[in-house]
Amino acid sequence: MADRYTLRLPALEVRQGRRRIYCFAVDGKKLHSFAAVSRIRRDDGEQLHGYQRPEVLSHIRGIRKYLESDGAMLPNAIVVAFNDRIEFVPSLMIPTDTVDYSVPGELVIEVDESLSEAEKPAWLVDGQQRSAAIRDADLAEFPVAVVGFKADSEEEQRSQFILVNSTKALPKGLIHELLPDTTGQLPDSYVRRRLPAQLMTRLNGSRRSPFYRIIASPTAPNGYIKDNSVLKMVEHSLFEGALYQYRNPVDGSGDVERMLTHLIGFWSVVREVFPEEWSKPPRNSRLTHGVGIQSLGFVMDTLTEDVPAEGVKTVELKEALESLKPHVAWTSGTWKFSDGEERRWNNLQNTPNDVRQLTSHLLKVLRKRSRRR
Amino acid sequence: MKFYFPDSQDLVSPTYDFINDEYLPTRVRQRDDVYAHEVAKPSPYDGILVSKAIVDGSMKGSGKYAAPQRARLYRLGVRKFFRLPESMSSLGDCGAFNYVDEEHPPYTVDEVLDFYEECDFDAGVSIDHVIFGYMPGAGESDVDDAWVKRRHISLELAEKFYAAVQERDSAVEPVGAAQGWSPASYADSVARLQNIGYRRIALGGMVPLKTHEILACLEEISPLLLPDTQLHLLGITRVDSMERFADHGVTSFDSTSAFRQAFMDDRNNYHTADGAYTAVRVPQVDGNPALKRAILSGAVSQRDAIAAERNCLAALRDYDKDNVDLDEVMAALAVYETLVLGSTPTKKSYLAHYRRTLEARPWKSCPCALCKEHGIEIAIFRGTERNKRRGFHNLTVLEAKMRTLAT
Repeated sequence: MADRYTLRLPALEVRQGRRRIYCFAVDGKKLHSFAAVSRIRRDDGEQLHGYQRPEVLSHIRGIRKYLESDGAMLPNAIVVAFNDRIEFVPSLMIPTDTVDYSVPGELVIEVDESLSEAEKPAWLVDGQQRSAAIRDADLAEFPVAVVGFKADSEEEQRSQFILVNSTKALPKGLIHELLPDTTGQLPDSYVRRRLPAQLMTRLNGSRRSPFYRIIASPTAPNGYIKDNSVLKMVEHSLFEGALYQYRNPVDGSGDVERMLTHLIGFWSVVREVFPEEWSKPPRNSRLTHGVGIQSLGFVMDTLTEDVPAEGVKTVELKEALESLKPHVAWTSGTWKFSDGEERRWNNLQNTPNDVRQLTSHLLKVLRKRSRRR
Repeated sequence: MKFYFPDSQDLVSPTYDFINDEYLPTRVRQRDDVYAHEVAKPSPYDGILVSKAIVDGSMKGSGKYAAPQRARLYRLGVRKFFRLPESMSSLGDCGAFNYVDEEHPPYTVDEVLDFYEECDFDAGVSIDHVIFGYMPGAGESDVDDAWVKRRHISLELAEKFYAAVQERDSAVEPVGAAQGWSPASYADSVARLQNIGYRRIALGGMVPLKTHEILACLEEISPLLLPDTQLHLLGITRVDSMERFADHGVTSFDSTSAFRQAFMDDRNNYHTADGAYTAVRVPQVDGNPALKRAILSGAVSQRDAIAAERNCLAALRDYDKDNVDLDEVMAALAVYETLVLGSTPTKKSYLAHYRRTLEARPWKSCPCALCKEHGIEIAIFRGTERNKRRGFHNLTVLEAKMRTLAT
């Protein structure tokens, strides 16, 4: 019968203590013919069965797009738990001077595609989304590395499942620094962050930038401005403010050079007007603190919304920022807001409320000034 | 007759991928997206109505605008923010339905005028308080005290609003809001607003009224109107009666109903010049809450559901290209509908309505730009991008009807 056949896969049997694991490769399109997904559910007696969540379709779509892209690879192995119906046959010709913990041979899997999911000889422990993506991808075949073990029970599979799925995510700072220098398909959330991360890296790396080497990142450990403050400011301006003018809405790309010129133009005036406040770390200066960077980012958006990059740095901009001087308390004194509220200089925090309060305070000062003129 | 479209942040993304059902990962909401007046040709309305409650939030929550969007609206003004062409006008109001449960409107006259001025509206409606009830013959002593109070609040605030506009020498054209519960009370409100100085008056609280009740009010009001006074109907679209409304001094109205029926109505989702069709529901497996629960509990296999969903979409598209016949599409739809509805016999089948829609293929003969571009996708009830495009299409149908009335 066509739906019953034997898969013979070259494999290594590796000894780990009293356990044996099997490393082999198989066409991902064939994986589901012998490996089932153990979907979590409870039976009529409230007994727990299985352990997997449903497929996350958006995640699968992301992997699938990657697999269909040029030069895709999946180097990490999919993990399966076998029942007793598989067999490992060691090679007859094993040289005697080889290591003793690893034995080459063949894994023999009897495939019967008419079996129900519950009767299949293997369960997927790790790689559900990846194998679903291979199954759905528009590809003829896609061999993947698999590691299998013989499980004593479903309880043991469950603990393996939790172990492989509880890894810690990469630190954000590292991702932001890596992001601009990557190629190929990335997950959507990273694609979105890529342009802002690129701008931040360039701000931190160019000598003409007032942010030169002062944004804290894995490779700029002496930086004192939080990377997230700058990222938020850039993202904001890119999506809602002055930098949007350099964006291409059809493909999401942007004119990085002019964006950089725009940012450097504005923030170098900020540094000229507040040189001392700019040189201090956030605990001594609210200007380099998240609340200052973001609020001034909004000021930038208001003052330079329709201004082309080359025209940002002007005498007028400098005068406008100078006019803020009597109304700011970046490093000492108190903020006096128009609603009568007074806050000590370092009482402002990096919260949406404080950012909003400081922004509207600064914008009010600027509006009053432009009305007087 | 002028038609205003009330803004509720209804936009579509021009780069949306219908085949894979996904957005560009870099898409920026609102800025990269487009309004009906930017994609539907001809432009389906004469102006937009923007409520303070939608922008700034109100009792019922924080509004529909993200903080940075709100900041940009205030910064750029309504014309630039909405990218309105010269020919279109803008009207602001408070969104009285959002605070209908309060005893008193939550805004001050100055706050509201600040909103209109900062956003640079062409015109703005005075603060009003909706009366929820209609008793045609009743006088002040016969109705709920709260109704009487609400009418007085509305008139008092209208007087203050008019004074503030004069005092500030505002560029915003003041529109007085009239409330009432009967033809006589509405007529009295209109007369008083004219005495204050208003020459543009919006009639509020008429949404629940039957057409003959609205007409009864207009008949009582129109003899009192000064020659240059114009009436606006808030939230009303009764196309069939528009000519008679116009005879009584109505020059403009606003409504979302044609738009919202695209995805809120049980059956009349896709409008045509002489009727309406039911849109074909193909919910997304990972977007339909009932189906998601069924999969999570193990009652429905996720693979089966995904396969059924894909079959429906493929069959519908093939049918549009005449590659499969109607029965094949209906079979695919039936399979998926059974999965989605589950075994609950309380939910009804739409299959008969789908057959009618698919037989007629109304999108094939529709002249609107959206139907031309998207074909059958616009008749599929699925996700905001298709549903809102269908809403935009409905607006063009409404606009065409209004145009035939005018001539």
